[in-house]
Amino acid sequence: MKPIDPVKREKALALLASTSDSKLLTHLNSCVRCGLCAISCMYYDTFHEAKYIPAVKVDIVASIYKRYNTFLGKHAPKLVNARPLNEETAEEMVDLLFGSCTMCGRCVTHCSIGVDISYLVHKGREMLAEMGMVPASLQSTVDAAVQTGNNMAIPVEEYTDTIEWMEEELQDEVEDENARIPLDETDCNIFYTLNPREPKFFPLSIKAMAKIFYAAKESWTLSSKYYDVTNYGYFNGNTAEATLIARNLHDEVLRLKGKRLILGECGHGSYANRWEGPNYLGHSYEFDMITAVELIKEYIDSGRIRLDKSLNSEPVTIHDPCNLIRNGGLFKTLRYVLHASCSNIIEMDPYGNDNHCCGGGGGQLAMSEYNERRLGIGKIKADQISKSSAKIVITPCHNCVDQLLQLNHTYKLNVKIMTVAEIVANALIL
Amino acid sequence: MAQYEVDGDGFLKDPDIWNATVAETFAQEDGISELTEDHWKVIDVIREHYLENGNAPMVRKICKSTGLKLKDIYDLFPLGPARGACRVAGLPKPDGCV
Repeated sequence: MKPIDPVKREKALALLASTSDSKLLTHLNSCVRCGLCAISCMYYDTFHEAKYIPAVKVDIVASIYKRYNTFLGKHAPKLVNARPLNEETAEEMVDLLFGSCTMCGRCVTHCSIGVDISYLVHKGREMLAEMGMVPASLQSTVDAAVQTGNNMAIPVEEYTDTIEWMEEELQDEVEDENARIPLDETDCNIFYTLNPREPKFFPLSIKAMAKIFYAAKESWTLSSKYYDVTNYGYFNGNTAEATLIARNLHDEVLRLKGKRLILGECGHGSYANRWEGPNYLGHSYEFDMITAVELIKEYIDSGRIRLDKSLNSEPVTIHDPCNLIRNGGLFKTLRYVLHASCSNIIEMDPYGNDNHCCGGGGGQLAMSEYNERRLGIGKIKADQISKSSAKIVITPCHNCVDQLLQLNHTYKLNVKIMTVAEIVANALIL
Repeated sequence: MAQYEVDGDGFLKDPDIWNATVAETFAQEDGISELTEDHWKVIDVIREHYLENGNAPMVRKICKSTGLKLKDIYDLFPLGPARGACRVAGLPKPDGCV
């Protein structure tokens, strides 16, 4: 590998030297090496190599901290396992922190003392981003979002053409030529967002959500420029890029005077906007921001939509996206919506807050470099699905959908993968 | 797979070496036993768009140009337009959640 630029290295080290981040210092110095995190990690559970233990991922960041910020680390590094930030260490960090962690946070909930392991993995990624060591395929997804406003670089006219197409399809389906998918309208109650893979390759989920809005008689809009709910800047560790992406969406909601920002079905996008967004922007949002799942629950509660769950009678199971359930608090909300829409739900084991990641989180799906590992750890999820004997897997995250599609194919699960909007739209009484 | 140089996701590293044999090989790996006329319509549209624009076309364009319905595309390529059809057409892996 090429040598690390000394100036960039100093910037990376400065991320650990800050004495104002009490959370960082506490969590870097707390691991007691109990080992409970090992079996909670899909990588360790699949490959049984010590390097995959979450505590080892914490340790590599902690050892660099010690080397430059503690007396013993500076003067007797070997005694305290303090490591210099050199090419060898950095390469190992790339492999462990980018290549072997979905940032699912399952280890965090199993940690005997509550070390926020994902936070430290993210801090390590920030250091690597400072040194220009983000895996190329992940960086290219961020670059597309920064340069074009969406992570698949979809040109505006091709996007609007697809939206118009879905509007026509919706009108046919509900037999009402007044059914609409509004674009760039101002002063709407709802500013809705998409994962770019919807307009690019899988647009039926847009039509499904539009059908729900139609049934609820909602005033809503999509933007033609900034509709992307994802923020891969959260995964590549480049805070400046994450901030720019979050700000584009924030500013667009203000420009169109949307009253509420609805985060489309995307785990990390919801996490990055809702929980990290205020940190990126340096202020709280001026408008309300909730996920599509929570909005649908509101519609059911208030009677704005009516559902006939006998229309979804095939056995279904639920894949809980880590960033919405374990790290997002939507366990009960998601169950509420799905039990109102489906008559035969079989839970996986484990499920809910202890559920396993699909295997494609943490930016893994965008990183070709670690494809084999990703499909390897996905076998845990594939086995869960196959044991459930469900015919449909529902998940409110397009990233999970894509990983599940691949698992379905690779492990011959013979199931159908659907989003929440799709299954709810199917149960609508119009 | 071993005969062509591919990235971690199995997409061709050099899209220029693509030919019909590559397409057939990749299709078989995806469980498509034979490339039908409809498969080729999709592949040709994707390929043409790629050579002109350097990226994958929208599924909208694939439907429009081939006259196929969305459902047909998903049925023809079980891994979907991106990991399925684009890979068979010899494109690099598209960015994003695919």
